[in-house]
Amino acid sequence: MLEGRLVKLRAREMADLQRNTRWINDREVTRFMAARYLMSSAAEEQWMRDRMVGPMSFAATPFAIETKDGEHIGNTSLFNVSPEDRKADFGIMIGEKAYWSKGYGSDATQTLLRFAFEEMNLHRVRLDTYAFNERAIAAYLKSGFAEEGRLRQARYSGGAYHDVVVMGALRDEWLARFG
Amino acid sequence: MIEGKLVNLRAPEMTDLERNTRWINDREVTRFLSLRYLMSSAAEENWLRERCSRPMSFADAFFAIETKDGQHIGNTSLFEVSPEDRKAEFGIMIGEKSYWSKGYGSDAAQTLLRFAFDEMNLHRVQLFTYEFNERAIAAYLKSGFVEEGRRRRAIFREGAYHDVVLMAALRDEWLPRFGSQNGGS
Repeated sequence: MLEGRLVKLRAREMADLQRNTRWINDREVTRFMAARYLMSSAAEEQWMRDRMVGPMSFAATPFAIETKDGEHIGNTSLFNVSPEDRKADFGIMIGEKAYWSKGYGSDATQTLLRFAFEEMNLHRVRLDTYAFNERAIAAYLKSGFAEEGRLRQARYSGGAYHDVVVMGALRDEWLARFG
Repeated sequence: MIEGKLVNLRAPEMTDLERNTRWINDREVTRFLSLRYLMSSAAEENWLRERCSRPMSFADAFFAIETKDGQHIGNTSLFEVSPEDRKAEFGIMIGEKSYWSKGYGSDAAQTLLRFAFDEMNLHRVQLFTYEFNERAIAAYLKSGFVEEGRRRRAIFREGAYHDVVLMAALRDEWLPRFGSQNGGS
């Protein structure tokens, strides 16, 4: 269990299936994510099972996000981890919308970044998000990511092309700021 | 065959194997590519056979680059093609180093961009390269790509971290500047 201030990160469990399936089919949640289509509970179950057959490792860090009183509210992970470049991609979903804009996502992000830098010995963590996801961009900035560029009209959704915002957190900058 | 000004783009063939294997093991070539390790001719043969065994398609547009007199000098491709976003990643390698800095790469890039916009109906083509690949960055700018950002210290090569430069060409910007195949825009 990784302890943040508002949340804890724990390994995902098959018992999370029903919530994960509900979140991944909630268009208010997925409009901010790469997932474009819907997902059956059977497909979600297979997807989860594939990720849980092995122990968490450098290459695969799928965490569940819990509040301090043990409610599962979302998931976060590092993926595309490069041992040579010592970098990874960061992803997060707060599926329980009642917990949006209250600092839970930022705290989960900071908790995972600290783990990435202090335990996995990464030197860089990056993410891509959509320009219309202003709530997330604000949270990422607060969590220590810096904007590094905008991929023009790189994402089509809701009937229009949108810019993709590219962000990165560097260990040297981040540890100096967050300790 | 897709005709450029200096080069033609053609489908890859198994007879490209010896050249591809030589290029992909030439560190002066691969220091600018994602490829970090070496590749046996057997591994390259498997890779090439897989490519050559299916027709080229929207999802898989991989071309050999030839000079106008038929010499194979490199390869270029579109990959990670997204039908929803109508975008793709662009990659290119000029393996014959005597053809560097003479406009062959730029012409191949422009020829493939035109194909992407005029035939595949893509609206965006993106690429990433390393900040120390100044020759390529100049060629990409000349070919109509625009820099969109830099992923700081995102690649470790030759003992140091380097920025990754993000570039893209948008159809609506590119066609007015470079024109369609038929001369229209």
